[in-house]
Amino acid sequence: MKLAAIWEFIAGDSRLAPIAVALAVVVAVVLLRANVASGVVAATFACIIALGLTAAVFERQ
Amino acid sequence: MTIVLAVGVARSWPVALRGAVGALAVLAVIVALFGPLLHLIPIEQLKLVVGIVLTLFGLAWLRKAILRYAGRKALRDEDAAFAREVSALRSAENAQADRIGLVTAFKAVLIEGLEVAIIVVTFGAASTAALGWSAAGAAAAVVLVVLIGLALKHPASRVPENTMKFVVGVMLTSFGTFWTGEGLGIAWWGADLSLLLLAAFYLAVAGALVTVARAPRSVRA
Repeated sequence: MKLAAIWEFIAGDSRLAPIAVALAVVVAVVLLRANVASGVVAATFACIIALGLTAAVFERQ
Repeated sequence: MTIVLAVGVARSWPVALRGAVGALAVLAVIVALFGPLLHLIPIEQLKLVVGIVLTLFGLAWLRKAILRYAGRKALRDEDAAFAREVSALRSAENAQADRIGLVTAFKAVLIEGLEVAIIVVTFGAASTAALGWSAAGAAAAVVLVVLIGLALKHPASRVPENTMKFVVGVMLTSFGTFWTGEGLGIAWWGADLSLLLLAAFYLAVAGALVTVARAPRSVRA
């Protein structure tokens, strides 16, 4: 089985949703290392994923 | 279920059931093999990886369901899929048809079931008991689907498939976000209770997206 097929099986055919998840993880790590309050990090993390969903819905199919 | 039913109707029920049971056995082996193996990985790293996979799964399901609700992607037509499969199987040469039917039923159950197997394994990653409950839930769903299939002997076209995918998408995204956050070291407000907040948040966002994504079409009409 090709790697691309495995990736599509997990992440579907959206390119933006996985980018948003990766971005959310990176931002959360940076904020946590900067000692930002956990509640703020949690809200930011969920908002970036929601933005990723929004972008994925409107991306060209 | 639609494809297995098509094989049963077009060829024979033993062929369809052999294919389906064979695929279920492979899926059971995957769960039995990988479920306990996950417990060997440190819990924080496991939560991070499992969380990311669940979030990606959830977003893919949710995106598809939103696009279908908004009319930007065709709803799955189970009747059409059933008719297509029956026609293809009936047109096959007799000598080959049973083999094709067996492989078709096997592949259909394996591919559809693999997503479920991965969800079972990841949800069961928390503990052996969780794996048991997770696998039992999936097994109950399989029994229910088989019973519906046997009762109807026709595709369950009235099952609100998109609504189920929408709800499952919200749940997977919520669990995925929660576990990824825990793996990263985020202390969620209210601990497990924040799962409900996350689900409410994603439900609201997804509901709004259905409305917004639908808007351009209704303006044109």
